[in-house]
Amino acid sequence: MSTTIEHVSAFIEGAPPGELADVVADVQALTSEEGDIIPSLAPAFERYNEAQLTTVKLPGSSQEVGISALQPAAAKFTDIAGGYQSQTSFEIDHITQTASAAQSAPLESQNADLIKSLIKSLGIHAREHYPNCSYGVYPTENDSAVAILLVANRYSPNNFWNGRFRAIYQVPVSSSTSINGKIHVDVHYYEDGNVALNTTKPISLSVPSISAESIISRIATAERDYQEELNRAFVAMAEGTFKGLRRQLPITRQKVEWEKVGGYRLGQDISGGKGR
Amino acid sequence: MADQQFDSALDLLRRLNPRDTKKNLNAINSIIPELQEDLLSSVDQPLEVRRCPQTNRDYLLCDYNRDGDSYRSPWSNEFDPPLEDGTVPSEKVRKLEVAANEAFDVYRELYYEGGVGSVYFWDLDDGFAGVVLLKKGVTPGSQSSGEWDSIHVFEATDRARSSHYKLTSTVILHLANQSEALGDMDLSGNMTRQIEADLPVEQGDASHIANVGRLVEDMELKMRNLLQEVYFGKAKDVVGELRSLAPLSETNRDRAAQLEMIKSMQK
Repeated sequence: MSTTIEHVSAFIEGAPPGELADVVADVQALTSEEGDIIPSLAPAFERYNEAQLTTVKLPGSSQEVGISALQPAAAKFTDIAGGYQSQTSFEIDHITQTASAAQSAPLESQNADLIKSLIKSLGIHAREHYPNCSYGVYPTENDSAVAILLVANRYSPNNFWNGRFRAIYQVPVSSSTSINGKIHVDVHYYEDGNVALNTTKPISLSVPSISAESIISRIATAERDYQEELNRAFVAMAEGTFKGLRRQLPITRQKVEWEKVGGYRLGQDISGGKGR
Repeated sequence: MADQQFDSALDLLRRLNPRDTKKNLNAINSIIPELQEDLLSSVDQPLEVRRCPQTNRDYLLCDYNRDGDSYRSPWSNEFDPPLEDGTVPSEKVRKLEVAANEAFDVYRELYYEGGVGSVYFWDLDDGFAGVVLLKKGVTPGSQSSGEWDSIHVFEATDRARSSHYKLTSTVILHLANQSEALGDMDLSGNMTRQIEADLPVEQGDASHIANVGRLVEDMELKMRNLLQEVYFGKAKDVVGELRSLAPLSETNRDRAAQLEMIKSMQK
């Protein structure tokens, strides 16, 4: 049983963008003889939600809010969509990905001003480049740093593809003028097959000063550079590695003359040894 | 129940990262050991290479040349580790298998310019069946790698002066790249296609080799084009759907201007 939980926890955490419910249904079918295993998988759901920056709707609202491990423990689940603008905390059921008990939670941080300006600048940047995204800025590391989070999802299950872009940054406010973070891009295509793109790009930036504009400007440049680099990598892989694996046609530009290859050479036996 | 669990296992493997198929298959097998045999014969995994002790040539391992824990080499027809009574094809089908291995060796050199290939045939009541395997790996840079595995399983059923061929082909393609500017990029997966055809068999066994050869050659060309489209076209397009390089306000303004122009032209 415990190894089963270990195995299916890895399945949950490995669910591709937009397909958690499908993976859960498969897990339920595979473990049907062991009774309801889902409640024992709560830690795996929590890790999935935090790593994938899952967004949920607040009760009675159409507003999407997000979950991450970088949010302050005290107000663990604060909204990501409007940053602290709506200043709401909520409880989450990680398994069903539903929020409840939403209540007002004013921002308490020595970096409150910076956070508010960052939310504003990040919002402008996000709207310019992500057609469908959620984002947020939070005090983290005992209020000694600020976390900047952005997640963009596009799901098209009718066309058998789903994608997710995640950017996670930390700015240690007091000590230095550096930004560290990671960008992840995950794409799944599954028509008559299973093809996955998974990328991780560590980001390390320095800013001239700790101001919202310079921080978001550097982040915007890094994200643009990364997307351009990724686009070049697609072309390089197609032109390099892929071509090196299998040619489209033999070097002669002719298809194989099957009658002339191998142990049975048609024509050869009849014509007495001519052929290839 | 078992059928539904089998379908769920296949669905799960179609969703989880294709890099981890082997690990996930082992995990499913440990949860439901009864599914193991069926899953192993339905789920394609990257092929393993072994050296034939008799001929010193490399060959590929799959479920179709396995008997217990031993694998049959297409070059020597012997099992490794040796088996007293391992299942081998009939003399007629083995002769065809030898010829097919020679033919696909030429094919492999022409298209793959290296790599390893193996063809295994077995007898059916009303014909024969076989699998054509091709594998190649490249490491063009120290930090980039690619691996291609082709698995073509077919059945040839005898008809009067012709044969009915049913071919199921899977290509597993794993690509990885790493650099300071790029970070880690993994583009991996597999795609499967099927085709059926009635083809004349006027020259006996030689016709079979040529028919299977052409079916596999045409299928690989189609699949190579499909992989190219999905891996380097579709995947890149989806990244562009997630994030727009051009500012969306500009894109939207351009689109609005374009609509305006179309409208004015229609007046």
